Amino acid sequence: MLNIIQKRKYAYWFSGVLTVASIALIAWWGLVLGIDFKGGTLMEVQFSQDPEPQVSDVEQSLSALQLKSLTLQPTDGNSIMLRYLASDEDTNDQVLERLRTLDDGVVQLRTDFVGGSVSDQIKRNAGIGISLSVLAIALYIAWAFRRVSGVVTSWEYGVGAVIALAHDIIITLGLFAILGHFYSVEVGVPFIAALLTILGYSVNDTIVVYDRIRENLLRSTKKMSFEAIVNRSLNETLGRSINTSMTVIITLIAIVLYGGESIRYFGVALLAGVTFGTYSSIFIASALLVTWHTYKSHRHERQD
Amino acid sequence: MLDFFDILIRMKQQVKIRWQFGGVLLLALICGVIAYPQAVKFFPFLHDAVAKLHVNEGLDLQGGIHLEYKADVSQLDSSKVNDALSAAESVIERRVNAFGVGEPLVQLSQSGSEHRIIVELPGVKDIDQAKKMIKETPFLDFREQSDATEVDQQFTAENEKTKQQADAIFAMVKGGQDFATLASQYSQDPGSKEKGGDLDFAKQGTYVSAFDDVVFDKDFQTGTIWPELVESPYGWHIIKKTGEQGEGDDREVRVSHILFIKKSSALYPDLAWKTTGLSGKNLKNAYVDYRSQGVGSPQIALQFDDEGTQLFADITKRNIGKPVAIFLDNEIISQPTVQSEIVAGQAVITGNFTMQTANELVKRLNEGALPVPITLVGQQSVDASLGQDAFEKSLLAGIVGLGAVAVFMLVYYRLLGAVAVFALLLYTAMLLTFFKLSVFTPFAITVTLSGIAGFILSIGIAVDANVLIFERTREELSYGKGVHKAIQEGFRRAWPSIRDGHVSTLITTFVLAGLGTGFVKGFAIILALGVALSLFTAVVLVRITTMFMAGDWMERHPKLLVSPKKPLEE
Repeated sequence: MLNIIQKRKYAYWFSGVLTVASIALIAWWGLVLGIDFKGGTLMEVQFSQDPEPQVSDVEQSLSALQLKSLTLQPTDGNSIMLRYLASDEDTNDQVLERLRTLDDGVVQLRTDFVGGSVSDQIKRNAGIGISLSVLAIALYIAWAFRRVSGVVTSWEYGVGAVIALAHDIIITLGLFAILGHFYSVEVGVPFIAALLTILGYSVNDTIVVYDRIRENLLRSTKKMSFEAIVNRSLNETLGRSINTSMTVIITLIAIVLYGGESIRYFGVALLAGVTFGTYSSIFIASALLVTWHTYKSHRHERQD
Repeated sequence: MLDFFDILIRMKQQVKIRWQFGGVLLLALICGVIAYPQAVKFFPFLHDAVAKLHVNEGLDLQGGIHLEYKADVSQLDSSKVNDALSAAESVIERRVNAFGVGEPLVQLSQSGSEHRIIVELPGVKDIDQAKKMIKETPFLDFREQSDATEVDQQFTAENEKTKQQADAIFAMVKGGQDFATLASQYSQDPGSKEKGGDLDFAKQGTYVSAFDDVVFDKDFQTGTIWPELVESPYGWHIIKKTGEQGEGDDREVRVSHILFIKKSSALYPDLAWKTTGLSGKNLKNAYVDYRSQGVGSPQIALQFDDEGTQLFADITKRNIGKPVAIFLDNEIISQPTVQSEIVAGQAVITGNFTMQTANELVKRLNEGALPVPITLVGQQSVDASLGQDAFEKSLLAGIVGLGAVAVFMLVYYRLLGAVAVFALLLYTAMLLTFFKLSVFTPFAITVTLSGIAGFILSIGIAVDANVLIFERTREELSYGKGVHKAIQEGFRRAWPSIRDGHVSTLITTFVLAGLGTGFVKGFAIILALGVALSLFTAVVLVRITTMFMAGDWMERHPKLLVSPKKPLEE
């Protein structure tokens, strides 16, 4: 049997450092927002010439249009990805016209543009989605732990689960602050979808461990300490916690490695969330119950 | 006696399990064939029938365009907004149907107080043309001849200005500025402008007389500029002689010129038409006149509304013996001469129509303009090649994911793992069957790239239920229970956890599906479907299969069935 609870200090340090670092990075660098949140155009074009025009050539030929925050990024197979803030048909037509002067066989592989009112709607929907999910998950936890067992109250389980979830989400956000800063990885609607999926999936691991704690508390004899019961419950559920996550992690790695550009970072977000979600439900969520319980009993003793 | 009943109950149960397992096999067979028709290639009749079924692919996989238009209803009375929007929807619907792409979608949506029209055209090749087709209405109008002097009067003031400019440039030329530069900058002759005004060598009689006379004047020296501004029917010219060759009849002169156009009714016949106020909006109906079929090109017959009838009567009355022109999108398509006043409000257009162009024009004329102005506020377009590439990559990710999970389950859980892999394959086949058959229901499922991501993720979640059951079984075995009993306990005691786990995932997928569009919706719907369906395969189907396999051999070889687990020390 592993002494996970006894060594919780290390997990607290590890998670504490990661969480604080993530918050600092988010505050310092921020996230790079995608066009679905700030509006703008994303155009991917493929050149017919070999070698294709250089990024600097393209930049020069577009300079007359004075596109706001234009970024150019070469992608696989003679292609280039353009991003800029304007989002109207005329500008896009002009950009394409300019590119045709460089190479008249240029093909627009993809043109996405999001106008201001659409991005406002997306932001609103994302906000509603996050709030609704968090509310639904909180209600679900409350429902799952409606039958409480003496030592730990219903809301203590709830708070523990929510802290673990917040931990997973913050670290995932921190990771994307880094990816955004160094690789200009954008955060868009798919990222929000990934976060909400993490909420739904990761809370589950925590609930299973808590379930076992409750079950063992009901059966326990007075001889075992609270800490020992929690540790035993963790060990009993360890195999299944790791294995259920492992199967999901395997499929997510497949998405990240082979799924192609479009869904790669969606996969990365899910992978980070699920991995940290599994870690936190084993090392953080239950340890928090023990810490809180110890604090309560100390206070109780002093009051006595 | 008791033993007898016990055996009887067991036998009954065994018969039941056999029937159930037969059902599982049948389901596997049907879904397998639908999901992968190539498997029955040797049976062409069945193969051909099944191969017709297809999965509805999203725009990001098959290529296509998604357009989001904002409908401006600010000019409309609030009670008429809904009617106008649905009218606009059906007009656009007809227009995109005429475009002939796969399965176009037109729908209204509302965001806050803003009304939107969403158009999706899968498989469309020419994006720009599609956008034009959606937005633009053919503009038909009737014009009558305007008095030539009247038109020229309009031009007088304009020509005055042009003359002044010509004088100014002429002064610059005389002042010694470079002729070619000025020509390329100011000349209004598109043919020679780029060449610095050069007209190349030409023989006498090539140009209009006013110009020709000057060019071939004997006193005009090569390299000099003609000392006066030359006026021709086309306008004013500054002329520079740049070369001369040949003698007598072969004499050729080369000049450059800077032209300033003088507008006149003779030069611009289009401008000689003035609008009459009668246009496509006065149409009650238009149709192809079939009587003319076979007699040259088809005609289009127009029936005006009351206002149009009155206007048309007035126009024909004052233009008897004169032509009236019919313009489509500012281009003249027909200019019949009026024989008599027409009071019936009917007209016929004879243009160079084919049956097809005539039908198309009639259709578009009848639709009229969009009842609400629209502007494009969002667009997503994916080229078919990019879609194909994304599809292949995500498919590879799916196969790799499925394979890796299968290996994991086999290595870790042995025979029970094999049963789980069988269930996983069946789950995949069932999901594909579901997609293919949903096309025939009102709830057709469209598989997008994000949907495939959702599917791949669901593979991982699908075996979660099996992991829970098998882990519980191992735990029960470690407590020394018999194999048969341990499996039953595993299923029974893992169930609450499986249920809870699936519920929490379903909660978020429902929120995502309800609020999201595009990427999110595609992901959420398929993930939700996958989670629900896999609950059935991983619990019910695995249970039936395991029960069918159950026998005394299990008790003798528990390690074959599932890897053993050491009990936790107290």
